[in-house]
Amino acid sequence: MNLVLLSAVMLLAIGSLVIKKSVPAMISFILMMFLLGLYYINLDAKMLGLFQIFIYTGGIMVLMLFGVTIIGLEFPKAKSKPLNAAAAFLFFVTLSALFLRGVDTLQKVAPQNVEDIELFSASYSDFVIIFALIASSLLYGTVKMNSTLKARRSK
Amino acid sequence: MFEIEMIFSFGLFSLGLYGVSSGRDFLRIFFSLEMLLNAVIMMLAITAHYLGFTQNIVLAYMVMILATLEAAAGLIIFAAANKIAKVISPDELRGADDA
Repeated sequence: MNLVLLSAVMLLAIGSLVIKKSVPAMISFILMMFLLGLYYINLDAKMLGLFQIFIYTGGIMVLMLFGVTIIGLEFPKAKSKPLNAAAAFLFFVTLSALFLRGVDTLQKVAPQNVEDIELFSASYSDFVIIFALIASSLLYGTVKMNSTLKARRSK
Repeated sequence: MFEIEMIFSFGLFSLGLYGVSSGRDFLRIFFSLEMLLNAVIMMLAITAHYLGFTQNIVLAYMVMILATLEAAAGLIIFAAANKIAKVISPDELRGADDA
């Protein structure tokens, strides 16, 4: 199940960078974030998964929609950069090789008796602070973008 | 399973790195930045689940807050750049400055 979700995430991530039209690229990005949220829920990090879905497929996408109104329906044409792609691939191979080389050590140093610590359950004020930070930044972004677009439209 | 999922997160990180370094337009750079940060969140969640580093979940929340702030601030910068110099990509912005 996890591998299917992650394969879909990778395909959608590639799609969001490759698709030339802005709205389908954004839909691909939204689906990617939604599937990542489902993946976290599958990993028993339910609150993290729900945060992912609420924040990314909800809040950040509204902000990105403002960006689409500026960019237009199609992304501007740009030169392909094969050197950057090769560098990113080389980075991926190096990172994977280093990880596979040291994975045994990582598993040895991992805590053996995992205690199920109750994150945030002792105090709801932590949740309130996190929600307030996220909500205020999203609100600030939305208001600023709205005022910029209004000024642009009035011209 | 743990190794494969970690390699998927490295893949997402590399993809984000490519998107940021190719830097075609602001919106795609934002997509790529979100991918980079989400790859980090994914690594933290995987290590918390499989290796028992449960405190990593708290770090993941912090990275998520950072990603939200980055998206909000970045889009405002994009809007301002578009308003002032009428550009939609960082390369054009550099050109506008030279002119």
